[in-house]
Amino acid sequence: MTIQINLNQPPFSFLSEQQLEWLTKRLDLVFFAAGAVILDEGDVSPGVYIVYKGVVEETDKSGQQVFSQYGKEDIFDVRAVLESSCKHRYTAIEETLCYLLRAKDFIQLLDESSDFSIYFKTDLGTQEELVDQRSNDVSEFILARIDEDSVRPPVYVTGQTSLARVAAIMEEQKYDAVLVRTARQVGIVTGTDLLRATLLGDKTKQSKVADIAQFDLVEVKYGDFLFSALLKMTQHHIERVIVTRDGDIVGMLELMDMLSVFSTHSHVIAMRIEQAKTMKELVVAARRLEVLIDSLSTQGVKVVAIMELITTLNRRLMERAFELIFPKRLQKSVCILVLGSEGRGEQILKTDQDNAIILQNEHDREAVQPLLQNLHQALLDFGYPPCPGGVMFINDSWINTVDGWVGKVQRWMRSGRPEPMMNMAIFMDAEPVCGNRELFVPVKASWQTEALRSSMTSAWFAKPALQFETPLTFLGKIREDHGTIDIKKGGIFPLVHGVRALAFEYAISDCNTLQRLDKLQALNVLDDETTQGLKDALLFFLRIRLRQQLESGSDNPGLTQQLQLNSLRSVDRSLLRHALHRVKKFKQLLVNHYHLENF
Amino acid sequence: MAPFWLLKKLPGYMPPEGRWRHLAEPYDGDEVVVLDCETSCFDKKKGELLSVAAVRVKGGEIRLSEALDLTINSNAVTDPNAVRVHYLRREDRRQGVAVSEAIEKVLDFVGNRPICGFYIEYDRAILNRYIKQLHNFQLPNRFIEVSELYVRQKRKYIPELQLDLTFEGLAKDLKVPIIERHTAMGDVISTALMYIKLTHFNQRS
Repeated sequence: MTIQINLNQPPFSFLSEQQLEWLTKRLDLVFFAAGAVILDEGDVSPGVYIVYKGVVEETDKSGQQVFSQYGKEDIFDVRAVLESSCKHRYTAIEETLCYLLRAKDFIQLLDESSDFSIYFKTDLGTQEELVDQRSNDVSEFILARIDEDSVRPPVYVTGQTSLARVAAIMEEQKYDAVLVRTARQVGIVTGTDLLRATLLGDKTKQSKVADIAQFDLVEVKYGDFLFSALLKMTQHHIERVIVTRDGDIVGMLELMDMLSVFSTHSHVIAMRIEQAKTMKELVVAARRLEVLIDSLSTQGVKVVAIMELITTLNRRLMERAFELIFPKRLQKSVCILVLGSEGRGEQILKTDQDNAIILQNEHDREAVQPLLQNLHQALLDFGYPPCPGGVMFINDSWINTVDGWVGKVQRWMRSGRPEPMMNMAIFMDAEPVCGNRELFVPVKASWQTEALRSSMTSAWFAKPALQFETPLTFLGKIREDHGTIDIKKGGIFPLVHGVRALAFEYAISDCNTLQRLDKLQALNVLDDETTQGLKDALLFFLRIRLRQQLESGSDNPGLTQQLQLNSLRSVDRSLLRHALHRVKKFKQLLVNHYHLENF
Repeated sequence: MAPFWLLKKLPGYMPPEGRWRHLAEPYDGDEVVVLDCETSCFDKKKGELLSVAAVRVKGGEIRLSEALDLTINSNAVTDPNAVRVHYLRREDRRQGVAVSEAIEKVLDFVGNRPICGFYIEYDRAILNRYIKQLHNFQLPNRFIEVSELYVRQKRKYIPELQLDLTFEGLAKDLKVPIIERHTAMGDVISTALMYIKLTHFNQRS
């Protein structure tokens, strides 16, 4: 039979060959005139429609509010088939041809194929996960779990054991580290610790091991991704972590054991960053980050894990550059902040350098400025394009003392004008990364006051979230002109800024949007469904943007915000529609919450 | 085309008997059958039936899931030019059904519904030739010519309008997708879409 749609993509690719063949024999073809109502509110749907040609719009009963548009190979209305009746109105905008899979046949397929049914019955996040699993050649290494094969069983000694005895046990067991049990706690001691204590310190062979053991253990859970263990090691600059199961220690995970497993060299880059003694070496390491992102992404690593890893590495990179450039004395008296997406930890490919500096003493300004120029140059060499808005510590307005910043924040907040509000928004995501982090504490406290939160300022602050239209209504038409959408304006910014405004109002000090959402959920500001929906939507936006940016092959892939709609798989288009729909709903929530209709 | 009542009175009219008696009964449903035959050469008298496809159309809906799509196990030597048209080589027809079986299936499928097609006169002649030979009657069904519907609609307001009456011309003007041209099934789907558009959509807008 001649079926003119690609059945080689999700959800149909979840079906077996026989099921697909059966499916193609069950399809009817329906032709709708432009303007024809295909399904109306309250109708019982004869089945699911798969668009072959044309555009269908989903609206409310009056046709005023548009929820979504459907183009080639999009499917509607699954909900009407699974539930009793249709909730919205579906109208053919142009002459439209749809394949129709009758409800009973569709339900039979759902019964027969669990993947197929999971795809339809679950929310956005799970759908996406399912698609991800299928479409990527998932590397076994990266998705391997911490299990018996990777974990070494622990070897314990008591706190009273002498260092000489511990060394003998390590030699015997061929372990580089053993666990130390005292009456109160469990610690760890490594071969290096022993050497340092005896050769560099004042300990002898007879000293007790409890004196030199470290008790702040870094733990991972049995069953976690190996990847997350790697992340912890990178964050804490250590080479082994403790594996726990239901709170009990079940073993140790050694970096060396893992390196033999990992192929992505993420740790190799991390080590290079750590060991770099010159700026040149750092640049080499920095330039490899993009390759790493590319390989992680194609290996199917979750975007949230990539984000976390890259943020960690980026910050280390900046810190190392800072340590190389700033003399020791000045390192203590300044604090460098990363702002915007870098501050939130949501930058994957380098988009721009948004940063600022806090001075302890105004009289250091002249000494610091040339150093900042050097650091700025280093960041350019690492591949960070300069910030087009000039939000950089090389510009005078982004260098200030603690008092200066406090005053500036007050002025921004009181101004009630959009431009200062946007500066404030960028600044609100600040995260101190180098130097004396204490300097940032009073600055941050200056906007976390009850008086500001409860004033009109909150509403003024929230308002820019509405400044760009959600590109929902235009979706179908843009695609027809080989169109693109600006994913930052249309999806990411309103979501991120709205969450930021709520975070400000509810005194949430986290910067990361996902963490802010968690806190807002915990405070009952947002319900569970909204929270999960926004998280899924944000990660989805970041994922498809990253994929297209990597595919673009340009020199600065991080700069493109334009999403090519026609190169999206149809399943991604449908997910995109869901995600944008979520953003639109969220904007409505903001309007109601801040009474923005009056502004 | 002569109306049915007149047709019955014409000399040489052969009504169906027995198993297909119901074909001559007037049809009061709202379905039509869109049908297309591919033959070994383009000749009403000599062309041998190679494949036949048909779908029932009801309103805007084409019942693809219940379509008839038959290839006939025929030994006819095909005109190389015709092969280029329908791509049915002798080898492709080996798996097909006997022509007598195909004709019976077509008759069962069509019933007394109106039959619609593009240049349907040709398909009618081919089918009637076989039916007459095998069952000694001729199709009493009402026939609907898509191109005639098209001409009538186009010339309603501008009688002198020059029209491109090829299959492709109609498809282009009516903005109907051409699906696998010259396979019986593909042509049937496109023709069905033209029929729906000409009868169910408001063309003036």
